Amino acid sequence: MCEKHNNQGNCFTHVDSGLKTVQIKCRVNEEIVCAYIDPTMTLLNFLRNELKLFGSKEGCGEGECGACTIIMNGVSVNSCIVLALEAMDANIITVEGLNKNGKLSILQHEFISHDALQCGFCTPGMLMSARALLDRNPDPDESEIKEAIAGNFCRCTGYFPIIKAITSAAKLEREEMKNE
Amino acid sequence: MLSKFNYVKPKLLTDAMIYLEQNDGTKILAGGTDLMIILRHNIVKLEHILDIKGIPETNKLEYKEKVGLYIGACITVNQIAESKLIIDKYPALVEAANSLASYQLRNRATLVGNICNASPGADLAGPLMVYDAMVHIESTQGSRIVNINSFFTGVKKTVLKGNEIVMGISLPDVEQGDNSIFLKQARVKGHDLATVGVTARITANKKIRLALTAVAATPISIVSLEERLSLQPLTEDLAAMAGNEVRNIIKPISDVRSSAEYRLHVSGVLVERALLHLLAMGGN
Repeated sequence: MCEKHNNQGNCFTHVDSGLKTVQIKCRVNEEIVCAYIDPTMTLLNFLRNELKLFGSKEGCGEGECGACTIIMNGVSVNSCIVLALEAMDANIITVEGLNKNGKLSILQHEFISHDALQCGFCTPGMLMSARALLDRNPDPDESEIKEAIAGNFCRCTGYFPIIKAITSAAKLEREEMKNE
Repeated sequence: MLSKFNYVKPKLLTDAMIYLEQNDGTKILAGGTDLMIILRHNIVKLEHILDIKGIPETNKLEYKEKVGLYIGACITVNQIAESKLIIDKYPALVEAANSLASYQLRNRATLVGNICNASPGADLAGPLMVYDAMVHIESTQGSRIVNINSFFTGVKKTVLKGNEIVMGISLPDVEQGDNSIFLKQARVKGHDLATVGVTARITANKKIRLALTAVAATPISIVSLEERLSLQPLTEDLAAMAGNEVRNIIKPISDVRSSAEYRLHVSGVLVERALLHLLAMGGN
């Protein structure tokens, strides 16, 4: 974050504080990660700048828009307002971890086939909120889906295709579970 | 971020209290959903951040019959919203928890953080006030317990001193027949701070409790009206009277979210609606 936060747009890049780096160890997308980082770094900047996982996006930087949503220890959180050091020993899943053996997951497929994205900026966060919802509730109704993605802003789709995609993914995932 | 801060995460309460005592300008971090934003906006400059999530006592969420509910400082708003037990015993608390911000924010935000941030519109303050919740405070000088109704002292101000940590909040047990409701008016559904928040409770012996948020410098109990309402059985007429009367008691201000006139109007509507709900649920 820059000193001119209130009058310049370029606030979102991490500015090194110059403080002594601190060790962080966590599991990101099933891989153990260990690094020395600036203690003032946010978890989102850690994922993007250090781990080069560019899926999670920074929209508002204040936990309003949900573009930075990831799953941390099983629950969805806004990674832009979590300090990287708070993720010590945490289990983190980002959009890059959604695929199954290199193939797109059902949820991702359904987003594509329902045209649930246009510019795509909100999509990683939207997918993670949807993933967290389906993990805790495999059969959500429309109001539950709306509540789960209420913290994710989309300015392109008008949300309806997204809701349909999540409904469809839930159904397909339940069928897959039955067949297994 | 302009702040260059040390981040510490002690595992023992005593270590946390000593750190807080020895380092001026330390901010306590639990959920961080308020703290991280003021850090980003460079509203405050900090040198120390004390993360209390490592202290086991802060993760306690426990209900004991005849004693009541205890909510530790690091219990998230979603943990409260998703507790079956709390919705049975303290419905307004769950309703307020569900109305707070977005799902992923509620996964981080804590009830105690909501109180310590002391926003005039703190959603969870109203339900705690009608249940006479107790705030458990610790410091190196010892511990003290403060009633939530005397906890807030002004906009973003509380009775807390710089060296004190809130460890948790306790709510007394409720008897059969106790009921409560939380209603919130905001500019858009969900995801917005309250324009007005109303909490009403009817106790087992038919006493009415009322608390409003975002209509004064702090969340407030409407004590004079509570007394008048508790003298007679709750009826539709009484609910309408309370809705009119509350407008004479509160003195809201105009701000970006609403004009004072609208706040007055909505307060009356919500108070009446809340009391009618309690009546319909068998609270006469």
